Amino acid sequence: MGDTVVEPAPLKPTSEPTPGPSGNNGGSLLSVITEGVGELSVIDPEVAQKACQEVLEKVKLLHGGVAISSRGTPLELVNGDGVDSEIRCLDDPPSQIREEEDEMGATVASGTAKGARRRRQNNSAKQSWLLRLFESKLFDISMAISYLYNSKEPGVQAYIGNRLFCFRNEDVDFYLPQLLNMYIHMDEDVGDAIKPYIVHRCRQSINFSLQCALLLGAYSSDMHISTQRHSRGTKLRKLILSDELKPAHRKRELPSLSPALDTGLSPSKRTHQRSKSDATASISLSSNLKRTASNPKVENEDEELSSSTESIDISFSSPVRLAPEREFIKSLMAIGKRLATLPTKEQKTQRLISELSLLNHKLPARVWLPTAGFDHHVVRVPHTQAVVLNSKDKAPYLIYVEVLECENFDTTNVPARIPENRIRSTRSVENLPECGISHEQRAGSFSTVPNYDNDDEAWSVDDIGELQVELPEVHTNSCDNISQFSVDSITSQESKEPVFIAAGDIRRRLSEQLAHTPTAFKRDPEDPSAVALKEPWQEKVRRIREGSPYGHLPNWRLLSVIVKCGDDLRQELLAFQVLKQLQSIWEQERVPLWIKPYKILVISADSGMIEPVVNAVSIHQVKKQSQLSLLDYFLQEHGSYTTEAFLSAQRNFVQSCAGYCLVCYLLQVKDRHNGNILLDAEGHIIHIDFGFILSSSPRNLGFETSAFKLTTEFVDVMGGLDGDMFNYYKMLMLQGLIAARKHMDKVVQIVEIMQQGSQLPCFHGSSTIRNLKERFHMSMTEEQLQLLVEQMVDGSMRSITTKLYDGFQYLTNGIM
Amino acid sequence: MKVNLEYLEGKLESLDGEELMKIKDNINCLFQHCIQALGEEHPIRVVNALQTLCALIRGVHQKNKSTSGFDIINMLMGFDKAELCMKNLMESLDSLLCAEGSESLKSLCLKLLLCLVTVTDNISQNTILEYVMINSIFEAILQILSHPPSRREHGYDAVVLLALLVNYRKYESVNPYIVKLSIVDDEATLNGMGLVIAQALSEYNRQYKDKEEEHQGGFFSALTNMVGSMFIADAHEKISVQTNEAILLALYEAVHLNRNFITVLAQSHPEMGLVTTPVSPAPATPATPLGTTPPSSDVISSVELPLDADVQTSNLLITFLKYSSIVMQDTKDEHRLHSGKLCLIILTCIAEDQYANAFLHDDNMNFRVNLHRMPMRHRKKAADKNLPCRPLVCAVLDLMVEFIVTHMMKEFPMDLYVRCIQVVHKLLCYQKKCRVRLHYTWRELWSALINLLKFLMSNETVLLAKHNIFTLALMIVNLFNMFITYGDTFLPTPSSYDELYYEIIRMHQSFDNLYSMVLRLSTNAGQWKEAASKVTHALVNIRAIINHFNPKIESYAAVNHISQLSEEQVLEVVRANYDTLTLKLQDGLDQYERYSEQHKEAAFFKELVRSISTNVRRNLAFHTLSQEVLLKEFSTIS
Repeated sequence: MGDTVVEPAPLKPTSEPTPGPSGNNGGSLLSVITEGVGELSVIDPEVAQKACQEVLEKVKLLHGGVAISSRGTPLELVNGDGVDSEIRCLDDPPSQIREEEDEMGATVASGTAKGARRRRQNNSAKQSWLLRLFESKLFDISMAISYLYNSKEPGVQAYIGNRLFCFRNEDVDFYLPQLLNMYIHMDEDVGDAIKPYIVHRCRQSINFSLQCALLLGAYSSDMHISTQRHSRGTKLRKLILSDELKPAHRKRELPSLSPALDTGLSPSKRTHQRSKSDATASISLSSNLKRTASNPKVENEDEELSSSTESIDISFSSPVRLAPEREFIKSLMAIGKRLATLPTKEQKTQRLISELSLLNHKLPARVWLPTAGFDHHVVRVPHTQAVVLNSKDKAPYLIYVEVLECENFDTTNVPARIPENRIRSTRSVENLPECGISHEQRAGSFSTVPNYDNDDEAWSVDDIGELQVELPEVHTNSCDNISQFSVDSITSQESKEPVFIAAGDIRRRLSEQLAHTPTAFKRDPEDPSAVALKEPWQEKVRRIREGSPYGHLPNWRLLSVIVKCGDDLRQELLAFQVLKQLQSIWEQERVPLWIKPYKILVISADSGMIEPVVNAVSIHQVKKQSQLSLLDYFLQEHGSYTTEAFLSAQRNFVQSCAGYCLVCYLLQVKDRHNGNILLDAEGHIIHIDFGFILSSSPRNLGFETSAFKLTTEFVDVMGGLDGDMFNYYKMLMLQGLIAARKHMDKVVQIVEIMQQGSQLPCFHGSSTIRNLKERFHMSMTEEQLQLLVEQMVDGSMRSITTKLYDGFQYLTNGIM
Repeated sequence: MKVNLEYLEGKLESLDGEELMKIKDNINCLFQHCIQALGEEHPIRVVNALQTLCALIRGVHQKNKSTSGFDIINMLMGFDKAELCMKNLMESLDSLLCAEGSESLKSLCLKLLLCLVTVTDNISQNTILEYVMINSIFEAILQILSHPPSRREHGYDAVVLLALLVNYRKYESVNPYIVKLSIVDDEATLNGMGLVIAQALSEYNRQYKDKEEEHQGGFFSALTNMVGSMFIADAHEKISVQTNEAILLALYEAVHLNRNFITVLAQSHPEMGLVTTPVSPAPATPATPLGTTPPSSDVISSVELPLDADVQTSNLLITFLKYSSIVMQDTKDEHRLHSGKLCLIILTCIAEDQYANAFLHDDNMNFRVNLHRMPMRHRKKAADKNLPCRPLVCAVLDLMVEFIVTHMMKEFPMDLYVRCIQVVHKLLCYQKKCRVRLHYTWRELWSALINLLKFLMSNETVLLAKHNIFTLALMIVNLFNMFITYGDTFLPTPSSYDELYYEIIRMHQSFDNLYSMVLRLSTNAGQWKEAASKVTHALVNIRAIINHFNPKIESYAAVNHISQLSEEQVLEVVRANYDTLTLKLQDGLDQYERYSEQHKEAAFFKELVRSISTNVRRNLAFHTLSQEVLLKEFSTIS
């Protein structure tokens, strides 16, 4: 909040005629510009032109602001704070501003021929049309990104840069990879337009800072090493990591700034201060100055200030706030690297557990999992639950992380450490009936009074004492009905009525109890993750919560994350974005397709984290463990054909299958073997591992030429080729394709922007985007589309290559 | 001024009582001066003072073994000044131990304390320790253990000292060290203690293994090693047996007294990396303001295990189990018997603890524990490599089974057997209570138990002369009852329940014999009447099983004209005839008496502490820290 107040301040001074440093031919208005480009001895036409634009923008903004305040704000600001909203979100009659702008442009930028030419091109009609669009309610973040990317007009770009502040944080966050990729790889204007927003958000949120820093690093890595070092991306990354972008509320305490900011100080005073800061910072901060010049935001100025003498004390006072988190991530990655050196899964698992138990000693700390959707502090890693995932030569692993949710990550104190052995409070006997026998059973067989779990008292610290011989009165209250009889010693038994039990009952109970949990997978040292993933999430949460010293806290949450070391997750991130976009398109168009995008955190070009899909195991694991066909497995898990449970699982299967078939087709997802397709507890399938999409395919063996993977087993689950569900499946595909086609731009845009400067294999060749667009078949009629779907389904089913590929996977990787 | 220790000690020893009394004032004076000198700046003076004190204490004690502690106090300090004197001494030692001073100085302080603690054979008669109780140095010991560099240097001495201090008059009065040790919850300290213990135990394991390999090693290795290391190894072995009792005692006290220490048992450490503990001092980071970063998070990066693919991760419990398996192999000599017993007591404590059980049975914490097995004629040495990775409780059970089958000897270690069966019983109680279905080959346990019963019966007369074998027999039978009655709650598969019956039926002769024996003794009016009759009652279900199935099996054999039924055929009969068998519900099967040291074990611990004291005293090597080394060190400093 305090920070956002900063922004309006400079707009006013720069637009007022001020007695700036002399020697400007452009008149007093240009004082700012000269300041900005001061280090360029020769005025670059580009820069000058840009500068002019800037001034225009500012004037426009100022006027807009005034106009708005007189008219009442028509455009609501979603996450901004009242003060600056007026200025940022101008809602002026565009034509008026354009006129002004043109006028000004003519006067100011007359010196450069190029600038003039440009301006002429931007005829006012087009501009006003654009502006009307920009200001309309329809103008959403997707369009903003699109114009930011496509427009060659610095003014437009700068405008959109400002408009970013008006969108909801979550909406912009979705496009963060695009924004940063543009910042890194596109020309300076775009970067300059984006930067203030990024800096602003970095100040607000530590999580955002981290994500930015990580993405900037990852997307810069494709550049040549020499250019990389001096690139804007690297510089911004350094700035973020250097921790100069502290949360704004601390800034506010800066005495020299706060009066100016809070009250909106008079122009003259403001200018004075500004020149002062220039004086102190001019030696080292030429680059920053350039940025200031080209942008109406003052964010940059704050940077200058923070590094100038005025605020130097502040930057010293606060520690590097990203440091703990980076250390945390670093140690997780280091574990992954070390695991990769171990030969067997068993050793890896053991090592993982012991490494994590050491990591536990350093927790709780001011660290968090960036994949989570809420503020929290990590308090513990239940190390014994961690598993190594199946991978041939790398060692991805899955950890569960206990966190405490908090109001605000920055201000809430890190929870105090609770020693590991304080867990016993909740390990209660109450939970036993679930896994054991019901009291009726036991009571019946022993002809006892059923009071199995009427004892609410948890099995607390000393409760193992229940097992020892105690006084009779304690036992009458004991939770264990069997021990009710155990009051006296054996010698006194004859005096009492003996209790008889049938041996057959014991044996029967044993087999029944084991039969009750048939769905649990067997432990397999070669596939340690199967058991862990099969366990229902809720049950796991309950179990871990019971075993955790923090489990009793109401804000305790369990998260899980897959740590990948040695894998490039940038493609996964791209796939996630596309999936997310498709999901929202289908939701918007009310097509009941089901897909499950899972969150990705790119840490660097060869490491990252993945949010695991809970309650899901791979079809390979299903088949290997159950030794059943998929249909039989469905019947085993959900019940016979006519049951509600089976039918809803089947429907889920069909909806998810249709969704992922479309995804696979549109994105050309390859490497579709059963290890890469998950099946969740509700019957949905979930595709994972988007390592081969768009233009890349594994080993280029020419396998998998079909549009998507549709095996007869899948069709069997859907009820066969003639079944209603199969028709429903095809209909869903058609509807989904039509809906996706309608919003093709939103999908293509995501991919297209990421292609900038990228060496990723999915962008290999020159026709990636063209081919992607072609797969939407914009020109087809709906009838033609229907035919296309039929053809694809037909082709995929008959596809010998799918079968071949599964056989190939079985031979090479042992995946069924 | 340099001290001639030998002279001083020798001189004191050569004087008789009378003469000593005469120089009492001199000794008092010297003692006080020494204590004053401890506060001096110059380290050499401190060193001299410490050494003189050691010599005085030892000398006076050696001369007056029979005299009471009060006389000794009088002799050293004089009654009137004793309290102040000792207060000053303890305070000086405390500050020396806690200060950032020289490591060898700290070492000398610990040696002085150890010397003070062990001057008498019976620690509880050492009256001077009363002052050590009043002026506690507990915190100083903890500080040494929690601080990695000092732990590496002095951890061993500190742990031994603590173990001994805890045992001072532990049954008679309130010992502040017991109270304090039981409430320590600082993880760094407890871990440090665990590490010291683990290091000592694994060092022993390593030495044992080396020696074993040497014996087995081919001609070549024998030849190369013969000259040097054989003798050293032998010497080492003796020393380690002696010193490890002290460490084992420390482990016991920690497990027994401190609930929090249980977690340390499961704390991982790389087995080999112990010698050069990887924990490096965290690089000093600039002080961070409050509330922004917890100091802990700064050092996250220093938590790195050494990168070595061969290192098998281990933990204190695994090391301890391996150690136990070595110690328990041979219980003939008294030291080893003590150690073996202590190991079993520690295991008893562990088997009673809820948290310990939780991680023992944790399905996700699988380890491969290579227990040492005694080479025996009738069995091959199990190949270590094929061991599966299992929850730790399997290793405990293996160890117990191993003990059961290897100690049926004339000098029957009854006490150890009882403890061993108790450990198994406690584990079963936990499994029953928490419905843990352990995938363990229970059959090995069953046949070991039946063999033990057989042994008891065949040596009835010899054993009855010394022991009450019925307690043990009752415990064994009740273990079977536990399986029979509650098998449904913890057996891994229905077929394992069948196997239990199969095993009972197969070995029915043993149970029949046992029954006739206990019946005979319980009908005779003799001293065993009551004990034996308990066993008869306990056998009711086993006999029911035998009587129920045997005729069925015989008739099956008759009908099918088979003389010898295969296992599968017997199991088939068993499965078919469960429903007609009725069992009696027995009481108290899943209950046990909690371990308590106070009365039953007091004598054992007294004896143990006495032998440890003697060993520690004997091994206290003042002269290893020779004057020259110290002088060299301090001359460079000052």
